[in-house]
Amino acid sequence: MTSTVSASGLSLHYGRTRALDDVSLRLTPGVTGLLGPNGAGKTTLLRVLATAVPADRGAFTVLGHDPGTSRGRQEVRRRLGYLPQTPGFHPDFTAFEFVDYVAILKELADRRERHREVRRVLEEVDLADVRGRRIKKLSGGMRQRVALAAALVGDPGFLVLDEPTVGLDPEQRMRFRELIAGAGEGRTVLLSTHQTEDVAMLCHRVIVMADGAVRFEGTPAELTARAAGRVWSSTEKDPGAKAGWRTGTGSFRNVGDPPPGAEPAEPTLEDGYLLVLDDADTEVAA
Amino acid sequence: MSAVLTEEAAPVRAQLPDRGARAVLALARFEARKLLLTVPVVIAFVAYVAWIVWRTRSSWDGYPALQDVDRATQSMPMLVGLAVLLGAARAVVRSERHGTEHHFGVLVLRPWQRTAGHALSVAPAALLTAVCVAGQFGWEALKPGAVGHGSPAELAVGPLTVLGFGTLGVLLGRLTRSAFAAPLLVVVLLFVFVLGTGASEESGLSWLAPVVSVTGPDTLPSDLMGRPAAWHALYLAGAALCLAFLAMAFSGGRGAFVRTGLALSLAAAVTGGVLQARGVEPSPELTAARERASTHPDLRCTEHGGSTYCAFPEWGPRTGTWAGIVDRVQAVAGGAAHDQALVVRQRIDARYGPGTDTAIPASTERHRVTVGTAWGGNRIPEFSSAVAAVLVAGTEEAGSELCDGRMVTVMWLSLSWQDDPMGALRRVRLDDSVSGSAIVLSPTNPLSMTEGQTDVVRRLLENPPAGTGARVKKHWAELTAPGVTTAHVAEVLGVAKPEKADSCED
Repeated sequence: MTSTVSASGLSLHYGRTRALDDVSLRLTPGVTGLLGPNGAGKTTLLRVLATAVPADRGAFTVLGHDPGTSRGRQEVRRRLGYLPQTPGFHPDFTAFEFVDYVAILKELADRRERHREVRRVLEEVDLADVRGRRIKKLSGGMRQRVALAAALVGDPGFLVLDEPTVGLDPEQRMRFRELIAGAGEGRTVLLSTHQTEDVAMLCHRVIVMADGAVRFEGTPAELTARAAGRVWSSTEKDPGAKAGWRTGTGSFRNVGDPPPGAEPAEPTLEDGYLLVLDDADTEVAA
Repeated sequence: MSAVLTEEAAPVRAQLPDRGARAVLALARFEARKLLLTVPVVIAFVAYVAWIVWRTRSSWDGYPALQDVDRATQSMPMLVGLAVLLGAARAVVRSERHGTEHHFGVLVLRPWQRTAGHALSVAPAALLTAVCVAGQFGWEALKPGAVGHGSPAELAVGPLTVLGFGTLGVLLGRLTRSAFAAPLLVVVLLFVFVLGTGASEESGLSWLAPVVSVTGPDTLPSDLMGRPAAWHALYLAGAALCLAFLAMAFSGGRGAFVRTGLALSLAAAVTGGVLQARGVEPSPELTAARERASTHPDLRCTEHGGSTYCAFPEWGPRTGTWAGIVDRVQAVAGGAAHDQALVVRQRIDARYGPGTDTAIPASTERHRVTVGTAWGGNRIPEFSSAVAAVLVAGTEEAGSELCDGRMVTVMWLSLSWQDDPMGALRRVRLDDSVSGSAIVLSPTNPLSMTEGQTDVVRRLLENPPAGTGARVKKHWAELTAPGVTTAHVAEVLGVAKPEKADSCED
């Protein structure tokens, strides 16, 4: 499969803190989920790939362009849609004006074409009816969709979404999943999230990061398979489990290395994710 | 860790691509619309237009000299400029204030290009100011009494001031990244330019201010103005562009465009600044021309009726208006004065430049009347008083020394035919009074009225006895005889005598 984003050996330090540690990855069209605990380096990686900050070491290309050069960086930015973790808004702008403004900053200069494009993306995120409303009058979910529309405007080939569903209620999150799934058709989307359900439902590939490094890269099924045979049920919490919690049925669900004779349970992507993180912790400790 | 060995994608063309310059213009257009709709800018433009309408309806009493009008367009754009400064600075810091900078920073348009967009966004406000300036100037120029020539460089000062304040706002926003810096600067500028009087003197340094409004009571012919207006316009344009390019440089613009623009604009500002400072001192040629215009002016003379009217070429169209006044005064005069041929000559004292209030001495030549460069309003009864004084006393100088009942005749000739004689009496007197003694203004030396003369004149103008005009003509010799008393004049004209005896020392 053709990769649209290719990174090798990306490292970045903030003072003595290692934010990225020799990260290499390849992204292909479709939605790739980026999982990891807080401080894993997800946002840093996204900011590097979005050309917001340069890496100390390593290189990457986006759609064949190297952002290491000024010209290459511009070419990458021309093909980039970025939704930051905490997108800012100009509250006195209408939704249309804000997306229009971003479109101008993306060099969409022709007014008629640009306005057509802005209307298209606002329709795509289901905000056509409120496009004339000032952003300060919009709900949090609507604002998030404005930010997504701003990322989508200009039809970028590479979309970087940093925790876009944070703070949304379940209904809004479902709506957002639809939008992201749609956005992933024909373009490369890198979706950073804490929601493993988002990854399970949306992503054709998943990357797990911890301590600034990539700990897993594969399909959601492969991540889930990591937990195969390592999830079991018990009536009491198993003290040997890496993690365990009481489920709605009253039994305990345990993840880790099961004791002999344990009752196996169906693994989920979240189980695989927890085990990858645990393996990473063990690796770091070793 | 790496994964998925895959084939690299070839570079693809981005969809809807468009490049820098056009995007900067699109941003400028977007920001300009926002800027023009900000509350301070809207208020400033509404106030500006209201001021133009209010002022221009009655300015210069309907007789503007366009070399004065051009400078009169310069002050109010400062208000617009301050509003644009506020709006531009606010727009520049908008993304900092609302946390969009980390997002916009990864968009295609570079920060210096965004700054360029902001700088360009003030241009429509400057253009709108230019439209207002053109409207104000055009309105004045279309008045039937308009004379003279405006200077394009003087007219450009208002729009360039707005441009300069706008780019200053952009630079301020880029440097401080604070929403409070611009309002603070506006307060300081208001203090300096509006409350202060720093830019009112004719010195090289004062010309560093955007508006240098050197105005005197008299208008000079346009070729004697001697203001370094063109250099000042170059200085303002250079300074405005320099501020814009500086803002771009502070935003990371290091390319040839920004560096060249900065160098050229700085050169223009410095050149204009230096040459305007040098131009403040009049050249030997200008000094000679002013001297000549003051002592031996090259006037163009025309005849109206039996009198001759000599004016500087720019005032040629106004001689007919002067002749109308002379005709009205002579129409109520008697004796030889009724048909006396006069020579009305325009006189100025340009030797000290346009900002100096200089008195023109009364003429000693018989039947010669002086007229200034201003006209309309109070200038009309002032001129008619001078004409009347010359008809009665023979010369301006003799008229200014009248201290007997002849002054009643002079004021009757000057005011009786006016639409509002009492209003004209009030306006022609220095203290705007209609009782007591007073100085009566005229284009040269003033005349004077005693309290008794004022009483008699007021009675004549307020309630003239039937046949006063005929009596004036019939008793002309008696009324204009040197030494005639005010009481006798009152008696002849049929009004009550003054209660006090005449005394020019009153």
